[in-house]
Amino acid sequence: MKRNYKALTQSQLSIWTGQQLNPEAPLYNMAHSFDIEGFIDNESFKTAFDQLIDRAEVLRTVFSVIDGIPVQSIQTGCEKTIEILDFSSKKPKEIKNWMKRRSQINFDFTKPLFDSVLIKVNEQRHFWFLNIHHLVTDATTSTILYKLQVELYKSIVEGSTPKIKDVPAFDDYLVYKAIQKKLPISQTIRDHWKTKIDSLTVPLKIYGKQCSATTSLANRVSLKLGVDRSKRLKDLASRSEIRSWTQDLTLFNLFTTAIFTYLHRVSGQQKFAIGAPSHNRSTKSFKRTPGLFIEIFPLLSDFEDKDTFFSVLEKVKLETNDYLKNAQPGMSSPELSRSFNVVLNYINVAFPDFNGMPMQSEWIHPEHCDPGHQLRCHVYDMNASGDIEVHFDLNNDVFHESLQNEIPQHFLKVLDALIEDVNQSIYEPSLIDKVSAIDLQPISEFIPIIKQFELQAIQTPDATALSFKNTSYTYQELNQKANQFANYLLTKGINSEKRVAVHLERSPEYIVAVLGILKTGASFIPISSDQPSQRVSYILEDSNCHFILTNNRLVDNITSTQIPYLNLDDDPSNLLHESIEFKCQDSLQDSLAYMIYTSGSTGNPKGVLISNKAICNYLNWAKSYYATKEKFVFPLFTSVGFDLTITSTFLPLITGGELIVYSEADHGPDISLMEVLAQNKVNSIKLTPSHLALIRGADMQHSNIKTMIVGGEDFKVNIAQSIQNSFSEDLRIYNEYGPTEATVGCIAGQYTANHTEASVPIGTSISGMSGLVLDSNYNQVPAGVVGELHLSGFGLAEGYCKLADLTSEKFVTNPFNPEFKMYRTGDLVRLNEFDEFEYLGRVDEQVKLRGFRLELTDVEANLLTHNNVQNAAVVIIENEKVIPEHEVVNCSNCGLPSNYPNTDFDEHGVCHVCNAFEGYKDQAQKYFKSEKELRNILTSQRGKSPNYDCISLLSGGKDSTYILAQLINMGLRVLAFTLDNGYISEQAKENIDRIVSKLEVDHIYGTTEHMNAIFVDSLHRHQNVCNGCFKTIYTLSTQIALAKQIPYVVTGLSRGQFFETRLTEELFWDENAGVSTIDDTILEARKLYHQEEDAVKELIDVSMFDYDDTFNKVQFIDFYRYSDVTLDEMLRFLKEKVDWVRPTDTGRSTNCLINQLGIYVHKKEKGYSNYSFPYSWDVRIGHKTRTETLEEINEVIDEKEVKRIADEIGYQMSEKSELKQKNLVCYYTGEKTSSAELAKHLKQALPEYMVPSYFKYVEKLPLTKNGKVDKAQLKMLSTSQLDTETPFVAPNGDIEELIGGIWKEVLRLKQVSVHDNFIALGGHSLAAIRVTARINEEIEMKFPLSKIFEFPTIIEYANYIEETLTKLLDEQD
Amino acid sequence: MNEKLIKYISEQLLNNELEDDLEAEDDLLGDGILDSLGMMKLILYIETEYEMKVPPQDMIIENFMTVQHISDYLAKQRS
Repeated sequence: MKRNYKALTQSQLSIWTGQQLNPEAPLYNMAHSFDIEGFIDNESFKTAFDQLIDRAEVLRTVFSVIDGIPVQSIQTGCEKTIEILDFSSKKPKEIKNWMKRRSQINFDFTKPLFDSVLIKVNEQRHFWFLNIHHLVTDATTSTILYKLQVELYKSIVEGSTPKIKDVPAFDDYLVYKAIQKKLPISQTIRDHWKTKIDSLTVPLKIYGKQCSATTSLANRVSLKLGVDRSKRLKDLASRSEIRSWTQDLTLFNLFTTAIFTYLHRVSGQQKFAIGAPSHNRSTKSFKRTPGLFIEIFPLLSDFEDKDTFFSVLEKVKLETNDYLKNAQPGMSSPELSRSFNVVLNYINVAFPDFNGMPMQSEWIHPEHCDPGHQLRCHVYDMNASGDIEVHFDLNNDVFHESLQNEIPQHFLKVLDALIEDVNQSIYEPSLIDKVSAIDLQPISEFIPIIKQFELQAIQTPDATALSFKNTSYTYQELNQKANQFANYLLTKGINSEKRVAVHLERSPEYIVAVLGILKTGASFIPISSDQPSQRVSYILEDSNCHFILTNNRLVDNITSTQIPYLNLDDDPSNLLHESIEFKCQDSLQDSLAYMIYTSGSTGNPKGVLISNKAICNYLNWAKSYYATKEKFVFPLFTSVGFDLTITSTFLPLITGGELIVYSEADHGPDISLMEVLAQNKVNSIKLTPSHLALIRGADMQHSNIKTMIVGGEDFKVNIAQSIQNSFSEDLRIYNEYGPTEATVGCIAGQYTANHTEASVPIGTSISGMSGLVLDSNYNQVPAGVVGELHLSGFGLAEGYCKLADLTSEKFVTNPFNPEFKMYRTGDLVRLNEFDEFEYLGRVDEQVKLRGFRLELTDVEANLLTHNNVQNAAVVIIENEKVIPEHEVVNCSNCGLPSNYPNTDFDEHGVCHVCNAFEGYKDQAQKYFKSEKELRNILTSQRGKSPNYDCISLLSGGKDSTYILAQLINMGLRVLAFTLDNGYISEQAKENIDRIVSKLEVDHIYGTTEHMNAIFVDSLHRHQNVCNGCFKTIYTLSTQIALAKQIPYVVTGLSRGQFFETRLTEELFWDENAGVSTIDDTILEARKLYHQEEDAVKELIDVSMFDYDDTFNKVQFIDFYRYSDVTLDEMLRFLKEKVDWVRPTDTGRSTNCLINQLGIYVHKKEKGYSNYSFPYSWDVRIGHKTRTETLEEINEVIDEKEVKRIADEIGYQMSEKSELKQKNLVCYYTGEKTSSAELAKHLKQALPEYMVPSYFKYVEKLPLTKNGKVDKAQLKMLSTSQLDTETPFVAPNGDIEELIGGIWKEVLRLKQVSVHDNFIALGGHSLAAIRVTARINEEIEMKFPLSKIFEFPTIIEYANYIEETLTKLLDEQD
Repeated sequence: MNEKLIKYISEQLLNNELEDDLEAEDDLLGDGILDSLGMMKLILYIETEYEMKVPPQDMIIENFMTVQHISDYLAKQRS
């Protein structure tokens, strides 16, 4: 017989594929047991079931593969039937186990896909076990089949006709779906889903777990809500502000809200998708059709800060309506399915009793689940008992057993909070029960470290304690020296109440001083030698220190204070005649041992107060944790003011080991590290990852270092790996974490080859300390979830010196054990599955891009996997703070908008430009002259020019028209010149033609075929069209003037434009400078202007500008330098005398159609109009009113027209806007590599949004004094600096720093590299005037303007200055 | 308008399987004539048929309880 083969539906196909991928796993078996309380007649039941097989095609549907394609067909008869078993000898529990095993069979797809068994427990109790493969069933199908079986059985035992309508065929649905698919709306719906999931970029990572699973094994962990809780949930669902179309939909929304919130809380992610099956039975008859109807569609979360359960529910309501509207049959796709790894399955079906006999159903989980679904949450009440059940199917690969058991509890905490108070914050409930009081045990008794040292001196008096270069001290010698020191300090009144600052380089004296101070019971304040004197003074004052120890080289830093001090270089006899015996003071546990200053957010450092107990807790632990058979030999090579250095300072001296002191080099700690490694004398070292990056790749096989303690910043696995490889195998690398506030180290762990995450975990809490991971509500977060690390224990600092508010803000009461304080570290961590803390960056560095949290360390670690990258630092650079348009204010005087770069408004709302102008306004007046002088100039060369006195540049606008008329009025012979740039409005042209004919003046239109290219270039270079146009006019008019021997070209630049383009405040600094000096400088600038490499220079013949003589033959005269006319006067004149009409066809006040493109681009990329600045000058010097300019600037731009023109001239609108707020920027060392290559490398491992927009090669990463990467410095570059390929090197030395400072001011940069190119940074001739003037002012020289273009980088210019100065000095000699 | 809606509901969503004819006053959701999926299909139909958008805040039982309610709501929207 010919079979009727049908293709599979999308849902069937994905199940089929899933099954093919896991052929042995029963992951799609849907088994139910129906526990019937009552007598069942076996024969009747069997007959009923056979009739059911007859009626329900799904029980006869089989699958086969034809030409590689799976197909389904329906058998006419069925060889399979129900099995009848008597298990009356077994206990119900055994039967249940049997059914569980039975549910895990593998179906043969060529046979009907069901397994049906009637089990007799006893005469009055039966189990009906029905297992059907998901290919042909879903939850509704189960109820349909169950109800049919009940009806059929009933009719048989009663001998009646079954009250059953015919069972519709699944085929009807296939036909319906095919029709639906062809409807036009289907495409809209497909697009809808596509757009929806396109907005997702990262998969959901629950508890920080991996996103993919390799096994289908999954456990089901169940939760019964109980009748009471279920009822309260339903009561909530009936509230008017909560409810949706139906109670089921409302409950679905509430469960979606709960599971969204739960997932958000355990992932930290704001935007993610979960899948939810839609029953897809849209018509009455489909509701009666057995078969696989469901399709899974995504629901998207959208969390914001400050969400409450209610606000989430409101969003969920919209989302589910949207979902229902678009959940159309046949619209799911594999792509949609890949957008989620969690499924919420809300099932609203129920099984009624069995022919009057009570029945309890149970859905048997086959212990397998689609591996694509890490977590499935089924919600149902199939027995209509009023007790809602929530079942979690949890993938065994992703969640270990203990977490599997916790998950339903975490979810329940969220659900309970939602039921309790729907208006509370979603962050209110703690997901886990409050931890029991922390039990803190120090590792051993707190013996003050100085006592420990003294005990060691008694034990091993002759062992070497300290060495420095060729000198060394035994323990006895060191102790005696320290005793002498302590005795000396006593004479200075030092006792346990006092603080003593030690401002010394690393040296034996430093160690002696520290030990001596501790002996007196006083505390020491280490101040490293590289601190600037201002900071030293601040620390001395702030710390209330009583005495200072310093030396010749550093004594200058402390002269500003009145605090008594000892200069160790002065008179050593001071100390030498002190007794070598000293009775050590008993220091109290809580008394201070030392104070370390760390950088503070206010700009001033803050002093962290460390008690004897705290340092003792750390060292006691370190002593045993890092212990080996060998005595410790540590180098002292890091800054003494850095808390990391405490380990090296004390650990060897309290354990009988040796401390080798390495003196400081001029250029930071790096060189001494090299010395430490080269000398190869130490067996232990404490250092930062940045130090390690410096020695990465070096061969260290013969190094004696066996213990390496890394701290201070994030430690990348990559660096650890390569260090482990370059040293011998027995090197032990430890990662030690600890803010200064928690005393050196409080969490530590050893690096092992098993560590494969981006960063080496920071380990576990040390003895006497405890780390807690809390969310912003002080709720402890579950393992794996990111939170802020809080520290408690004996190692906590006492607080900050003199900063009570900050102290109480950072050191809060531990909510879990109020006896202890808790320090908020500001560090993001999570606990991994081995209970180690993983460091994930700073809370305040936490960046959100497009709603996704970004971990900078993650990006860095991935960069390090590139062969060319030695070290990398990623920062977020925020562009100039952009003021939103509605918040822009305009200067109350000139109208300059506040979004113009670096504007500063005073309390009267007056901008800094106006205020500065007040200072040189009078000086500037000398630049302006009278109309009479103009006439004299223009007629001065009459004899030499055959035809014309001057060219008058005529744009057709009011200003140039006025000029032309005035020049004629003066009786001059004028040639009018107009550049036809292709965009002069028709009416403007009419104006021009009418005017020249009325004034009877000769007129030329100039053109160039390159105009569009010039516009495009100008838009790229200056974000406007005018610059390119102006330059073309100057160039073409100069050509004509040369050809016709016309000595002058008169421009129509406004006075505002003078100040915009050539007159700078610097020109007027020298009150004695004559106007001719200013003119010379401006001419110089103009020559440079024509040398700038741009489209005009490239495309038009500009060779004449190479000859200086050209500038003598043709001089440019700015008309308005000689005329001081107001707009009103001008307009009146034009109306009366010239018949000038304002063009109306541009729709704006201009006569040029293209300049709105320039304005549009400028506004888009810079935020303000390119006219803002010149117009503000027009107002400032009284040629326009503020109102007039604001009106003109705020004219409406026709965007459509702008885009048309842009297309016409071939200008591609840039997507990258200067206004883009945040840029991800990567700095790296190693080998310079193309950005594209690095981006490509990252894209393999990271989502698009985590790939930096800029990659900047640096020779070395700037480090802070403490050896950490100085990210603050890296954040200072502007986008134009980032765009260049030059490496970043900060200015160094007086001259470079001077030039750098001037560049920064003039070019408005926060940071400059000595390799930055002046022109690439936007330096034009005006900036050149300013920079040169300032340099000349500072070093009292007269460097010509052109030098800056000859030596366009700081390093070149500095060399030039140095050479010039040296030459001058030589000459003087 | 009522007739058009009744026709769509009866034919497309109910396959004419309702025992009595659908009346304009029948409680669509309350009487289980439609579930929420059916209701959203009806809204999709209305939006396509009448070339309008039902804004989220209007998707409430008060506007969609019966065919009559829907007609009233639509009349108000279209006026």
